[in-house]
Amino acid sequence: MSGTVGEESLKRKRSKTSVKANKRSKAEKNDSNDEDDPQAEILLLENAILESKKNYNNITTLLEIAQKNGDDDSTQLALVSLCRVFLRLLASGNMSRRDGQSEKDIVVVQWLKKRLGDYKQIILSAFEDEESASTALTLAMRILQAEGKYTNDKDESNFPKVFLREIVDALVRKGSEDIRQEFCEKFLAEYTDIRFYTFKVLKDILSADSDESSNEDLFNNVLDLLSFFEDVPDSAEDMSQFYVDAPKKKSDPVKSVNQHKKQAQEAWLALFALDPNREQRKTVLQIMTKSIAPWFTRPELLMDFLTDSYNAGGATSLLALSGVFYLIQERNLDYPSFYRKLYSLLDANILHSKHRSKFFRLLDTFLSSTHLPAVLVASFIKRITRLCLNAPPAAIVVVIPWVYNLFKKHPLCTFMMHRVSRTPEEKEILENEGMADPFIADEEDPMETRAIDSCLWEVVQLQSHYHPNVATIAKIISEQFTKQSYNIEDFLDHSYSSLLDAELSKQVKKPPVVEFMIPKRVFLPQDPASGTEDSLLAKLWDFQ
Amino acid sequence: MAGSQLKRLKASLKEKGVIGPQLSKKQKKRNAQDGKTSNNRRYQKAADLEGIREQFNPFDLKHNVRGPKFQVTTNRPATSNASKGRPTEAKSLGEERRRQTLLVELSRRHKVGGIVDRRFGENDPFMTPEEKMQERFVREKMSHKSSMFDLEDDDPSEGLTHLGKSLSFDGPDLVDDFEEDDISAESDAADDDEHRGSKRLRPSNDDFQDADHEEGQPERKKTKQEVMKEVIAKSKFYKAERQAAKDADEDLREELDMELPDLHDLLFNRKKAPSDKETNPAESAAAAKERMERDYDMRLRQLAQDRRAQPTDRSKTDEEKAQEESRKLRELEEKRLKRMRGEEISGDEVDQDAADIQPEDVPPNGPVLFRDNEEEDFGLGKGIKTRPTATELGFDDEDDFIIEDDLIASDSDLEPVESDASSNEEESDAEDDDEFTKGLLNEEETQNPVFNGQLTGTNISTDTKEDSNGLPYTFPCPETLDEFVQMTQTIPMEHLPTIVQRIRALYHPKLDSNNKAKLAKFVAILIQFLARSFEKLPPFSVLENLIRHIHSLAKSYPVETANEFRSQLEDFGRFRPLSPNLGDLVILSAIGTIFPTSDHFHQVTTPAGLLIARNLEKVPKKITDYAQGTYLSTLALQYQQVSKRYIPEVMNFCFNTLCALAPEKATKTLGYFPIHEPTPGTRISNAKSVAVRKLSPADCEQDEITDEDVISTKVAIVSTTIQLLDAAADLYGGKAAFFETFEPAKNILAHLASKPCRSKLPTTLIDQFTKLESKLDKMLSLAQVARRPLELHHHRPLPIKMAIPKFEDSFDPNKHYDPDRDRAELAKLKAEHKKERKGAMRELRKDANFMAREQLRMKKAKDAAYEKKYKRLVAEIQGEEGREANTYEREKQARKRAAKR
Repeated sequence: MSGTVGEESLKRKRSKTSVKANKRSKAEKNDSNDEDDPQAEILLLENAILESKKNYNNITTLLEIAQKNGDDDSTQLALVSLCRVFLRLLASGNMSRRDGQSEKDIVVVQWLKKRLGDYKQIILSAFEDEESASTALTLAMRILQAEGKYTNDKDESNFPKVFLREIVDALVRKGSEDIRQEFCEKFLAEYTDIRFYTFKVLKDILSADSDESSNEDLFNNVLDLLSFFEDVPDSAEDMSQFYVDAPKKKSDPVKSVNQHKKQAQEAWLALFALDPNREQRKTVLQIMTKSIAPWFTRPELLMDFLTDSYNAGGATSLLALSGVFYLIQERNLDYPSFYRKLYSLLDANILHSKHRSKFFRLLDTFLSSTHLPAVLVASFIKRITRLCLNAPPAAIVVVIPWVYNLFKKHPLCTFMMHRVSRTPEEKEILENEGMADPFIADEEDPMETRAIDSCLWEVVQLQSHYHPNVATIAKIISEQFTKQSYNIEDFLDHSYSSLLDAELSKQVKKPPVVEFMIPKRVFLPQDPASGTEDSLLAKLWDFQ
Repeated sequence: MAGSQLKRLKASLKEKGVIGPQLSKKQKKRNAQDGKTSNNRRYQKAADLEGIREQFNPFDLKHNVRGPKFQVTTNRPATSNASKGRPTEAKSLGEERRRQTLLVELSRRHKVGGIVDRRFGENDPFMTPEEKMQERFVREKMSHKSSMFDLEDDDPSEGLTHLGKSLSFDGPDLVDDFEEDDISAESDAADDDEHRGSKRLRPSNDDFQDADHEEGQPERKKTKQEVMKEVIAKSKFYKAERQAAKDADEDLREELDMELPDLHDLLFNRKKAPSDKETNPAESAAAAKERMERDYDMRLRQLAQDRRAQPTDRSKTDEEKAQEESRKLRELEEKRLKRMRGEEISGDEVDQDAADIQPEDVPPNGPVLFRDNEEEDFGLGKGIKTRPTATELGFDDEDDFIIEDDLIASDSDLEPVESDASSNEEESDAEDDDEFTKGLLNEEETQNPVFNGQLTGTNISTDTKEDSNGLPYTFPCPETLDEFVQMTQTIPMEHLPTIVQRIRALYHPKLDSNNKAKLAKFVAILIQFLARSFEKLPPFSVLENLIRHIHSLAKSYPVETANEFRSQLEDFGRFRPLSPNLGDLVILSAIGTIFPTSDHFHQVTTPAGLLIARNLEKVPKKITDYAQGTYLSTLALQYQQVSKRYIPEVMNFCFNTLCALAPEKATKTLGYFPIHEPTPGTRISNAKSVAVRKLSPADCEQDEITDEDVISTKVAIVSTTIQLLDAAADLYGGKAAFFETFEPAKNILAHLASKPCRSKLPTTLIDQFTKLESKLDKMLSLAQVARRPLELHHHRPLPIKMAIPKFEDSFDPNKHYDPDRDRAELAKLKAEHKKERKGAMRELRKDANFMAREQLRMKKAKDAAYEKKYKRLVAEIQGEEGREANTYEREKQARKRAAKR
């Protein structure tokens, strides 16, 4: 097999280089005897192991050195050299049981395997350490590769799942952010098989740990790993990179996109089963439509999670909205009383929320259909304009053009801004009693609020908003509706600071008007003799 | 006319009289005697012949190929049926032109060098030789500037002269060169003057000049002689006359000079020696007169400008004054309303506005500043104080700082303000009243222009004098805030306004041109000082005075002030957007008074409003946050006191504050405003016995305070908020959604007055609640009754776009009726281009034809010449050869004959 031959030659080369390195280090040793003593010793030990079976005991010595916490350099070196040793041993088949081996040999093999196990433990424990984590990860993956390559006796590919599980477990539980990031970038992103088995392993880990109490970190860490993937592989061609040898069988699950998705889906589901708290839920919901849903072969499995989140209320509901919408759109999810729920989302905080623009994009989509009943649309209009009475200018600026667009789409609603009483009786009643707002603010069903019988007095009040631009925008409602529609996107991303910047960045060209009259008093109460009234500030505050 | 062509020709010739029977000698004689000159007859004959020739050549005219067309009725301009042009003529004309231009070029082609004929018109084929000659002559004439001795000059009357004297015998003729020399040296005005002078003098001095010279001119054209005489006379008396005029002017001027001081005294009520009366005797009288006139104009203008206005001003009665004030006020109010509605004020109006403001704080001429004006100004000050109408209107036109006298002898005017502004200053002021006046008089001296130069040079060294408070009278104008702070470090805070006032007086822009920039910088420094005032808070009376100073300076330096305020706001918005310090609060308050907050858009107040709203929107954490919010809400409402604009953030903040400070959490939702769950310990508890006080700015600062203080602050915040809601309800009374806006307020008040809360709040507060609640109840029910359904869209219906084509009354198919102007223009250009192109192509084709023809002709000529030469040569040779042949033949014959023989 060319692959093995190549490997062989590679090995040889590597050994040569290592020998060279040894020589060099030997030479160095000659030069500086005292300083490099431990390093030189390690290298000597390593060479001895490779030279003869008799020196296998050196492995234990090396392991001891590696376990010692004192000298960082020598620990590292020991780890590396051990890795080399085990790689050689694995490659030469010294660590696999074969037919016709003597009892003694078998004992040796078993002993070696135990040592390998010890070595793995050491490496995994090194994940905790910030400095050595990166090397440890590389070494672990090297061993993993070698194991996968040389221990498969039969034709069937034999991915060392157990070791991978150990690695991932260590990553998820102990590893730092950086090392996870490195793992994602170097291995998960590159190699199909690693990705596949990682999904599998993650699911195992999560389902095994579902009853454990301290799963907050675990959740976050797993989320880190899982959310790394934004794009789902489109076809088998995207997945041609393998870390361990590619499986020979065509039908191997590793090669199938669907199997991949299934594994990912199960991993995600296992993650959701951990019962995340609010913050975690929000993070998940934020990446829901982009990174999570595409992995799901059966997105309806997301339904439970999403409906739970949607019912949670507050910002979580807002974020879940896009996921629910995805399901409705893509999976034909039948969400009973969707609009009712949507209507209930319009509470006092929505226009102050930082997810406001996101919500408005969705709301615009939901209400874009011209087939919606005018009564329902009117309820939304009335509710949101009512909210505008207590909203920041950035929100009002979005709402008004949006309302304009709705009026354009649902001309029946325009009665809300222009209602002429026709009969004289009506007029008389109006004269005598005025008009009570027929809108029922507390009604939860948008079909029953009677908003369509109401009027938009709120918008009229906003026409005298303190911010000139807001006031001007509010005036579009009482002007002729000649424009086809406003592009909501133009109004979405405003805030106090952006409005303020817009004002302050302009240069003062025209000399500004200065109040003509200089008041006698600013802070203090006016002279009673002068007859002028105190300002509000002077009345309410005590500046003495 | 029948007959052959020849017969017809004969007939017509006979008819014209070109040919005819021989005339007898008698007849010929008669004809000659008739006056018919032969020349005339010859022309006549030529014309006749031309006519006949034309008539008999049918090919000269272009005709329709198939004969004349039938007559049709059309509105196109009828084309003549018969002929359309003269092809032969045109052709020959073109040919001729080509021969003159193209052929010349052709023959000159490939030829280098040679003599270029630059004589005028030599290459112009369209000029007859006569024209050429004429033109050349004209050029020749033009190139020579006619000199004095030019014999061919236009006016040949002078005749010959010798040494400037005429050689003619009849009269002392002189050449008129004096006119060039003398008069042109003088200005036109002087010239006129001289003429007038001479006119005046002539009757007495000039006896041989005819008296009616000036009047006679139109009737009779003067001869050259007379003109010359006149001119000579002028020149003769020129010198004497100039002398006389000068003398007269001098007398006059001296006289005026003597009178002028009296006049000045009379007019200006002031002793000031006219400085510009130093005359230069060497100056010409005319120039002096001119100067005099200019002076006079200047005086006149000055008089018209201010001083004459003064008496009328003074004579106005109080009512009139009040009326004027109120009119002005009304105008300003109208302008303000316009700005409030967001309408554009046109540029000239603004200019007008600026012009209105200008004269009142900057009197146009300097001297007025320095008159002694104690009594008068005192009266003026009193006038402001006592004028009832203006005060009623709450309008104080002459603000105490800006009026110019105030800067100098301001003790009278300012003192009352100072005294009741700062009570602690009062007694000290009273004590050193005399001292104060004296000091300021000294100051006045230093400000006199006489001392001005010295002052600007050494203003720091004059710093020695101090008043009883230890305040120096003069200060260097600070360039930076640090300088100002350093300068005022040693001086107690209460005297800051005095310092500012003295600096303003010292560096009044009228004293030095640089002062304007200095004061502009000074305003910025004052504003920065306000912003930094949180470090060491001066008493508010001082701050107030500073703000008033800034306000009055802002009138002169609006752009600088606005820019500084804006940069302060930017600072605030950038570095501590949600944690304002006291300085920011002071700045915001200052903006509220200095700039009109009612404008629809204003460069300073709009960002300020936004910043306030942004701070109100934040989630309050500490009690100080609530206090700051309350302050900002107060400010925000005060901003909208006139324009009554709605500020959602204020309502939100008030509601949220009440909910957060309420002793118990409300069980049901109170409205659609966002409620922020207060931090523990925010709610009021055990305040039953706490006295309700007013909030003070100190509450906005982060201070460790005791529990009782905290509770009293909380109670004060609640009480202030209730008052704010009260004010807001008054403000927004007429708003369309008043009901919706204030319904939550009612709910909250009900909640606060409910059992569980009531027990923990002081009774005065509860009283406030119930009072406001009942008021709101009333207002809400009123609002509901007043509410009408919206009828926003009573617009004129939009016209539907028409699709009927426009009908043209007098349609001409030749014309293009393109409604699109540009397109029509383009089409026209295109047509023109096409036509030109065709014409050019035709011309080029004809040129090529012509060239080919010419070249062929030349080739033929060359060939012919060659042939001729060839033939000549052959003939020559043949001749020669022939002769030889003949001799040969002859020889041969001879031999033959000899042989035969």
